This record gives sequence, structure tokens and C-alpha cells, in this order.
Amino acid sequence: MPLVRVLVVEDERKLAQVLASALRAQHYDVVVAPTGEDGFFQANAETFDLVLLDLMLPGRNGLEILETLRKRHVQTPVLILTARDGVDDRVLGLDLGADDYLVKPFALPELLARIRALLRRGRPAEVVRLKVGDLELDLAGRRVTRAGRLLDLTAREFELLEYLLRHQGHVVSREMLAHEIWKEPRRATPIDNVIDVQVARLRRKVDLDGHERLIHTVRGVGFVLREGEL
Amino acid sequence: MKIPLAAPTIRARLTGWYALALTAMLVVYATATFIAVRHEFLEQLDERLHDDFEVAEGRLTRTADGRVGWAVAHEDAHDSESRVYEVWSATGEQIHRSGAPTPLPPIALGATNTSYRYETVVANGERWRTIAAPVTIGGHNVVLRVSRSEERVREELSEVLLVLVLGLPLVVVLAGVGGYLLARRALLPIDHLASEARRITAERLHERLQVPNERDEIGRLTTVINGTFARLESSFEQLRRFTADSSHELRTPLAVVRGIGEAAVAERRSPAEYEEAIGSMLEEVDRMSGLVDTLLRLSHGDAGTIRLSRETLDLGQAARDVATSLGILAEERNQKLTLDTTSGVLVAADRLVLREAVTNVLDNAIKYSPDGATVAMRVERVGDEALLAISDEGPGIPPEHRERIFDRFFRVDASRSRNGGGAGLGLAIAKWAVEIHGGHITVTDRSGGGSEFRILLPLAQQTAAVDRRSTQVYVGGSS
Repeated sequence: MPLVRVLVVEDERKLAQVLASALRAQHYDVVVAPTGEDGFFQANAETFDLVLLDLMLPGRNGLEILETLRKRHVQTPVLILTARDGVDDRVLGLDLGADDYLVKPFALPELLARIRALLRRGRPAEVVRLKVGDLELDLAGRRVTRAGRLLDLTAREFELLEYLLRHQGHVVSREMLAHEIWKEPRRATPIDNVIDVQVARLRRKVDLDGHERLIHTVRGVGFVLREGEL
Repeated sequence: MKIPLAAPTIRARLTGWYALALTAMLVVYATATFIAVRHEFLEQLDERLHDDFEVAEGRLTRTADGRVGWAVAHEDAHDSESRVYEVWSATGEQIHRSGAPTPLPPIALGATNTSYRYETVVANGERWRTIAAPVTIGGHNVVLRVSRSEERVREELSEVLLVLVLGLPLVVVLAGVGGYLLARRALLPIDHLASEARRITAERLHERLQVPNERDEIGRLTTVINGTFARLESSFEQLRRFTADSSHELRTPLAVVRGIGEAAVAERRSPAEYEEAIGSMLEEVDRMSGLVDTLLRLSHGDAGTIRLSRETLDLGQAARDVATSLGILAEERNQKLTLDTTSGVLVAADRLVLREAVTNVLDNAIKYSPDGATVAMRVERVGDEALLAISDEGPGIPPEHRERIFDRFFRVDASRSRNGGGAGLGLAIAKWAVEIHGGHITVTDRSGGGSEFRILLPLAQQTAAVDRRSTQVYVGGSS
């Protein structure tokens, strides 16, 4: 499988470095453009599978770059990064052809999840059975088994487990869970508590005694479902 | 187009109005006076003429040859200048004439055959008042006419008029000066008030204006201004506290992150220890970004830049959603969470903002109630408002804190600060979210212990007619 190429247009050196190293850790081929001009040049000259675009750039505004790219029929998926959470900016970005956006400060797991989602786009991904180790989740029958034993999960627990399974091997932040599972637009302390309690319960049901632990807590970041210890 | 003029002071305007009103009144008064005086003068003239006529009638005699004669009296001389006596025959011939030489127009006989007739005639540019009546003397019918010059009366009237016309501006000027002084005196306390108020600056907001007399207008104004100062002072105080609290709340996690980081790099450690350090730094960062989000949200709220997308919502349903979401927290603590709803209590609200309010209040109730307690939610219609009450079995709120419980960063128990949960912004957010919908939130003590938070919102227009009550136990139940 050829490497996935990602262009990161970000002027803040530290953040660009962090992004690049996190993406490389996911085995993406990363090119960093430190200015708007450079980013525009790179995006035009080469082929990328995805562009991470900061909106506030020296030289050339992110929205301008996006607009010009789309006018030239460059259809590479673009994920916008912005520090402003004004609705207008977002809407404008999406109107100009961005595929998704994230507000700084964002959690890295969320960024990675969004990138995976954008890269997955357009591919048929109809899965009926999700699996990790001896844990199996049957989407059609809404059944979960661990080592062949049926687990009795609530609807919410099922959803949560499905989400963790779909992101298996990747860290899932509380923010993502609040948004995707609890449909809470904003993260607030009460919801974080709810998430923690819910994950703890799910873990009690899934990680039965004598079985390998699958649901892990990554301190300060979130949760991850995977085989083997961290 | 309006020409921008410097607005005159109240004092000038008062004086102007006062002088104008007085002038108008004086003009009316002077006119009336003049008319009355004139009428009186002319009446007196007529009376004197009538007296003259009677005297003149006595002078008429019958001469030896049977004709009408005029007996000359010696007092005639002194006033002959201002009077004219005439006797006319029935045929219009002048039989006698004495007195002033002014040639008066001849008498019109037709109308004089009955009684006294008064008339004003003009001769040589002078006005004369005449009285005429038929007299029978010795079988002869004659007409006697006595005339007096009106000139003296007119002169007197002119003098009166002159006095009135010349006196008026003088009185008006005096009135203006008086009015000005009066207005100044009346407005002096306001000037005083202004300079006093100017003295009270941001640094001296605790000072108040003196109220000399609460019952008069100035006293009421002063009381109002003092009230404004009080509110201003409390806003300033709140702002000061908010700024101090925010920097404290933001600095603490920064200090923690820094401390952990510095300690971690101070010496070589195992990967597990580094992981532990990074993890706890991330936790702090997470807490801090949550705080920044909330603060930004509150400041957006303060600036009024948050737009609500209102829809008609069933308050009971909204409460149910939140109860479903947070129920697990109560369950963890063996608490019973109940919801007592009346269906059809509709509010026009932004679903997410309202949810925020309810979430924070309910979380608060669960957090502060002991294990095994009951947290009860109730939705009903109270008058023209929708009520969502959430009661807990917590320690309650001391009366002295009830005012401040919704303040930002306020915690009843300061020691609970960072470990008991949020930064003390939950209820502040709830209050904001309720008030932006035109509602209000209060807290009361329950008789059996614990508190009851009451969220009151205006009812939506199309509130359903049917009320169906239902009680639901979310968690806990009979187990």
C-alpha cells in the first residue's frame, strides 16, 4: 500500500513539528509548509491525499488558499485548523470547500480520527462485525460476545463499545465521545464524569476476570481499545 | 434641517419660560385694565354731560316776546372753553349757542324726539361728546344739546396707557431677573449634586451622596443616583473578583504543569515515570482548556454575541433528556433520581443552551447529595411560567451564601475547590443560560434539608391545553 501523503500548512513551528511527528507515527508521509505561499505552491505542485490547513497564516490567508485550490479543481480533502471558534469562520471555510474543521486547542486523537475519516471517505466500509482479540461485536444482531460468552450491554454501552472498536488501536478522547456518543455539543465537567463512569462500567462487563484487558485509559488523553499492554 | 444649537441650560430655559408666561399674563391684565378704565372714564363723562344738561335746562327761559331765551349765569365763563350749549328749534334752526367756539356739526333732529341721546361727533379734529333731548318750554318744543370735549379724558387715558406700556417691559425684566435667581436657587442643589457625584470615581465607589431630605425631588434623585452607585460598586466588585479568580484558576494548573515538567526533567527517570508525568500534565492542560472554553463562553454571553436558535420545547422532555444523560452519576452513588412532569409545559428555548443549564444544576444536585439520597426533578406550570425544580438532599446553602451561589467561581465550601469537581462555574453558566431566555433561577432551602433550585422560564405561546402528569423513577427505584 502506498504511503498516504499529508500536507501540513501551519506557521507555528512547534505545532507543525508536533503534527508532523504525530502523523509520521501513524505512517503518513508528511510535508510541512511553514507559510501560506509555500503551502499554496506545494498543494499546486504535488499530489497529496490530505491537506491540514491553518486559517491564520502569514503571507497568505488559509481561506484564500482554500478558495484558489478549489477554483483550480484541486479536490484534495482539506481539514481546517482554526483558533477562532466563531461560527462564521467555520461556515465560510466549509462553504469554500473545506471537508472538516477543528478548533484549537484540539486533542490529537480527535485530529487523527478526523483524518482517518476523511481518508476513508468514498470507500465502501460496510462492516457488520467488529472484532478485537476474542471480543466480537455483531452490528446486525446487536450482540457482543467475549470469548464466545454473550455480554449484556445497555444501548449506550453498545454504542460506546462500537465506537471504541471502530477506532481500535487509536486513542479516543473524552471530547470525541461527548460529541459522538452523547451528542453533547460542548464538553462540560458533568459530561466528562458521565463518560468516565460509563467507560468504567463497560470495562467491568468487557474485561472479565481471567481475560486480557482490552479497554485502556490513557491518562490525560482518553481511552483506547487494543490488544496487548500499552 | 435642524441647526445644531448649544442646548441652553435648564436655568436659562426656566427663566425664559417664566418671563414669557409673565409677559403673556401681564399683557392680558393690562389690556383688561385699560378697557375697564376707559369704560369708566367715558361713563363719567356721560354722567357729567347729563348733569350739565340738567343745569342747562334750568337756564332756558321764556322771553317777553314769547320766544325761548337763555339766562346767562356768571359761572359760565370758566368752563365755557370745554363746553358748548345749543338750543335748536323743532325745524332745525339754531336758536341759541354759547360756550366754546368750536363749530359742531348741526343736530340730526329725527332721532331726538324722545329721550336723551348720546353721541360722539368730530369737529376741528377733536372729539366731542354730546347729549341731546327735546325740551318743552312755554309751549315751545325745542331741542337742547350740550357738548363736552373728550380731549381731557383722552389725554388721561393716554397717560394710563403710557404707564401700562412703559411699565410692562420693566416688570418683565424684573420678573426675568427674579425668575433667574429663583431658578438658580432651585437648581443649586443639582449643581451641588453633580460636583459631589463627580468626586465619586472608580476608586471611591463605596462613597455615597448625602441625602438632605429624602422626600423632596432632589432627595429622590439623590437616592436614585446612590442606588446606581451601589449597583456600579457591586458590578465593579464582581468584576474584580472575577478577574482575580480567573487568574487564580488559570495560574494554578499552569503552576502544576510547570512543576511536574520541571520535576520530570530534573533527573533521569523510568519511562513509566515519564508517562505518569506527561499524563498528569495533560490532565491539567485539559482542565485548563475546559476552563478557558467556559470563560470564553461566559464572556461571549456578557458581550451578548451568542445567538439563540429558539424552538418550542417540552420542558419535561428536556428534563428527561438530561436525567437520562446524568442518571448514571446518580446510579453510581445509589441515589434515586425521579422526574415528576406535566406534559405540555412548552418553552421557546435554544435546546442546547437550556440543556446546559439543566445539566449543571442537576449535576450539582447529584454531586452534593449523599449516597443513597433522592434527587427529585419536577416540571410544572406556575402561573404564566414554566417551572423546572430540582431538589437535593445535600447540606443546603447557608443563607449568607444564597445570593452568591450563582456567582462565577463561588463555592460554598472553599476547600472543595479543585477536587470536588468544576471550578465553580457550573451554576454561573446555568444562571446565564436561564436568564438569556428571559427566565430566572433561584434556590431555596427545603424544610427536610437540602436545597431546591427553581428554573423559571416564560411559557411558549402555544402551550398545549392537556396536562398529563407522570412520575418516573430514573434510577434507584425500589431496589
